[in-house]
Amino acid sequence: MAHDALIDTWKLGKRYRGSKTPALHDLSLHVAPGEVYGLLGPNGAGKSTTIRTLLNFIQPTEGSARIIGLDVVKDSVAIKRSVGYLASDMAMYPKMTGGQFLRYMGQLQGTDSTSYRTELIHRLKADPDQKLGSLSRGNRQKFAIIQAFMHKPDVLILDEPSSGLDPIMQEVFYQLLGEAKARGAATFMSSHIMSEVQKVCDRVGIIRDGELVAERTIADLVQEAAHTLEITFAGAPPLTELKRVRGVQVAAHDEHHATVRLQGPLPPLLGVLARHDVTQLEAHQLDLEELFMHFYTSGAEAGKSSLVSDERRAVNEKHHNGEEQQ
Amino acid sequence: MRAIIRWTLWQRRWSIFWWSFGVAVLVGFTLAFYPTIRDQADQLNKSLGSLSGSTEALFGGTDFFSPVGYLNSQLIYFTVPLLLAILAIGLGTSLIGREESSGTLEALLVRPVSRGRLLTAKALAGMIIVFIVTGISSLVTIVLSKLVQIDVPIGNIALACFACFMLVLTFGATAFLLTATGRGRVAALGISVVYGIGGYLVSSLSGSVHWLKEPSLIFPYHYYRTADILHGTFDWSSIVFFALFTLGCGLVAWLSFRRRDLE
Repeated sequence: MAHDALIDTWKLGKRYRGSKTPALHDLSLHVAPGEVYGLLGPNGAGKSTTIRTLLNFIQPTEGSARIIGLDVVKDSVAIKRSVGYLASDMAMYPKMTGGQFLRYMGQLQGTDSTSYRTELIHRLKADPDQKLGSLSRGNRQKFAIIQAFMHKPDVLILDEPSSGLDPIMQEVFYQLLGEAKARGAATFMSSHIMSEVQKVCDRVGIIRDGELVAERTIADLVQEAAHTLEITFAGAPPLTELKRVRGVQVAAHDEHHATVRLQGPLPPLLGVLARHDVTQLEAHQLDLEELFMHFYTSGAEAGKSSLVSDERRAVNEKHHNGEEQQ
Repeated sequence: MRAIIRWTLWQRRWSIFWWSFGVAVLVGFTLAFYPTIRDQADQLNKSLGSLSGSTEALFGGTDFFSPVGYLNSQLIYFTVPLLLAILAIGLGTSLIGREESSGTLEALLVRPVSRGRLLTAKALAGMIIVFIVTGISSLVTIVLSKLVQIDVPIGNIALACFACFMLVLTFGATAFLLTATGRGRVAALGISVVYGIGGYLVSSLSGSVHWLKEPSLIFPYHYYRTADILHGTFDWSSIVFFALFTLGCGLVAWLSFRRRDLE
């Protein structure tokens, strides 16, 4: 599986000079064509270090990483023909206009992307004649998005990509991401916005203190995430019965009302409710945020042993053996 | 690579203009006074006859008011190289350093451009800028020298200006090397200025202060003998030294920059 991956890291690590602890350690992951992989974690967890290592801005001190099958250190230039990179507050030249900046980046990219570039300018409603230094952060971010997408890269590496964008532009950005995905591009993104992660990612990795502590598909996460249900009964809430249902936790209750957190399938709970006189039932949004907080705050070692799948470990080992044979 | 050079020159177009203008004005003012100075040369030479050898050396020789002496002491030995050194060192610290500290270096290196090519393009852009400013000041020097009747062959003046260009490249290259190794712009600026200006002092005084003779050999200024060039006795080995020094700095900069972590 890892052999088809467009992004593939094996025990990737980075220890900065003079630092006792590694900023990144033992990171093994892959992103398949057409997949959007989200890397989540608190500030300082190692997300940016991972991205900077993949882009060869910094050198790994352990392990290796490949993009489109090429080594990120040795073949960095060849890789960059196929990579689009977008940072949260990308540094640009303040005295250049947006159009000049895009032309410069296009010339360096070496591909003729004029027509798609123009299309992106229209779609994002960017003003190419304004100096970048005079633009708001959100308007500058539009040019950052355009330069990342304009050459239709096979691999997108995005660091907090939609920060600063208004909701309408965020939607356009998600559309662009969807189009890249449909083309078969692999996307590796870091984000703090859970709704964004849920919306665009197929799979997420959770990184803490430089180590990958969990890896899940979004579908699995949704399964794991707790639903919060506000239930109003005609009589007293059947607390004993509710507590017996697998995955149910009664968070609060009063004379006629119970707040229930459900982690797991809904039918058993509905079965219990059907036997009682329920006057009102209200379901809240999936609480992914809380789930992520659990990953962030739980013990790293304990978490890692259970949260990174056995299948993934097998893939890593297989990949490792292949590397050694080479 | 051409795109990087072109855009770097475009970004610095006003700086090039104002530097060229400033140096040209300074050269113009200095040479405009020559006819007055020439008429009083004998008197002035007598009054300066009491200067110590080391003080004379700081001005590039013992002869201040002959055509060669004036051109050398007032412009080509110290003033013009000093100004161009400021330009070159500034470029050396900022061409890569400013891009790195502002984060725009990442926007360039995320493109299919090797670090070596980026470094070469930036170095070439810097050399072109110094060449343009030196070229304009040289042109003004040559034209005005003829107008105020400084009787020095054009070829000698041009060669002296070329030596000046090569000298300041060594200062710029030192700053460029230090920035490329990631030492930081302020450190690179300080070290380059000390190396350049300190080299001027050490080399100028080495004639009269004997123990400075050996240390002066490591400074590019030691090989900068414009009075000889203006007199027509030119030794190409100094130019070769400047070229090798600049290339050496470029090579070490590349070796250091190609694999180091960006800030």
